Amino acid sequence: MRKMLKLLLRKRAVTPVISSVILTGAVVAVSFVVLSWTQYRSSAYNEQYGDAMDADIAQLKERLTFEYTFYNGTQDNLLVYLMNSGTIDNVTIQTVYVKNSTWFKTFSESDFDLKFFNETSTPSLDVGEEGYFVLSSLDDLVADTSYSVRVITKRGSTFDQAFIA
Amino acid sequence: MIANSKGFSAVIGTVFMVLVMMFLSTSVFLWTLSQNTLYNQELKEKNQVELDRLNERVTASSVNYTGSAGTISVQVELENNGASAVHITTLWVMDATVKKYGFNDTLDLNLKPGNKTYLTGENAVDVNIAGANATDTLNSWFVTTRGNNVPLEKDQSVIVAQLAQGIGSLAMDFSSFKYYEVTGKQLGSPQSGFSIPGDIPIVFSMYLTNLDEHYTKVNLTALSLLWLYPAAGAKTAKFPIAKVVNQTLATFDFQILEFGKPTKLFFGTDKTTAGNVKGTLCAANLLLYGKIGADDYGQNIPFVSVYVQS
Repeated sequence: MRKMLKLLLRKRAVTPVISSVILTGAVVAVSFVVLSWTQYRSSAYNEQYGDAMDADIAQLKERLTFEYTFYNGTQDNLLVYLMNSGTIDNVTIQTVYVKNSTWFKTFSESDFDLKFFNETSTPSLDVGEEGYFVLSSLDDLVADTSYSVRVITKRGSTFDQAFIA
Repeated sequence: MIANSKGFSAVIGTVFMVLVMMFLSTSVFLWTLSQNTLYNQELKEKNQVELDRLNERVTASSVNYTGSAGTISVQVELENNGASAVHITTLWVMDATVKKYGFNDTLDLNLKPGNKTYLTGENAVDVNIAGANATDTLNSWFVTTRGNNVPLEKDQSVIVAQLAQGIGSLAMDFSSFKYYEVTGKQLGSPQSGFSIPGDIPIVFSMYLTNLDEHYTKVNLTALSLLWLYPAAGAKTAKFPIAKVVNQTLATFDFQILEFGKPTKLFFGTDKTTAGNVKGTLCAANLLLYGKIGADDYGQNIPFVSVYVQS
């Protein structure tokens, strides 16, 4: 009992112990901060990479078939009939180009109205669905000249079809 | 040296750090690898889909356009020559004459490998095109679910049709020229029509094929008849066109002859005989009258001789 009391009352070497404890605590704390930061960074990378991969996969699944492209010379408009022959739903058309080697015109999403064959408007086409849109104000197309229409989807896929004006 | 614990904590710390780093980098690496595997898997599936699409082999032949006043009826023979099943969704018809087009997207045709289907008669596909006629220059194609377009091919029968225009759109199969003895309204068994009994009611039959150049349907009216007349004498025998259902005479209304489809026609009633021309060799004329499309049509097929027994 006496020995124990004596040991407790001895104050020599207390400082190094305290400093060691503080140092160890600081090192452990910093390690955990570094660990959680590294984990955060790696999961952010994973998420980014996953999103990019999902987008690539979705793009791979997209396929639009041109059923018919009809240029109406009297009304100066182009009717494009499409079918979603891919394996993914919600194919949305973002931009359409009409062009040939010397001329081109761009149509954004707001310039045309995608519709089903029964005239109902739709923002996108699901698998197997057919739809069409009309591109108007194509009065500068030259008759009997070859043009191509390029459809770009929101996922970034492009599909081309040639037609004669 | 083993008992010397100096620097031991540094070693443990380093090992711990290395383990943590390895754990993190391995998890990131494996996750990236799994994502790449997913992508590759999808790429393989995409390739398979493209391969299936490229391997689709459907032929659409024996095309026949009929109809008018804006409704074109397309008759066609479809055959799946590929190795995979095909689903056909839409038929497009483009009329180059009036520069208009139409489609029928209500098709739901499934063709197994090797299967053949005939879209003729009631199964013909109707497409509405304002102002179009079957005689216009028409181009058409089917669209499959995989995204292939199958053009409709006109076969060489058009040459036969053009030849037939020299004598008329309807051709007769002479080997099918038969007669039936009639008991009540019931027909007996068929016998060669080139020699017939003179004093009992008979009904003639033969196959006619519509080979119209423009593939238009012919609709025969009740005025059509088979006429027997001998080389000498004013007496003749007439056998009006008839309808026979299940070997029994029925009331005649009309007779449609579709392009390219041999159709059996009957002439006579339960009372018609060749008694007027007994014991003579007669010329037999098929006097056919009706409509071809929306227009009137008449044709006389005169190439049969019939001996009427006394």
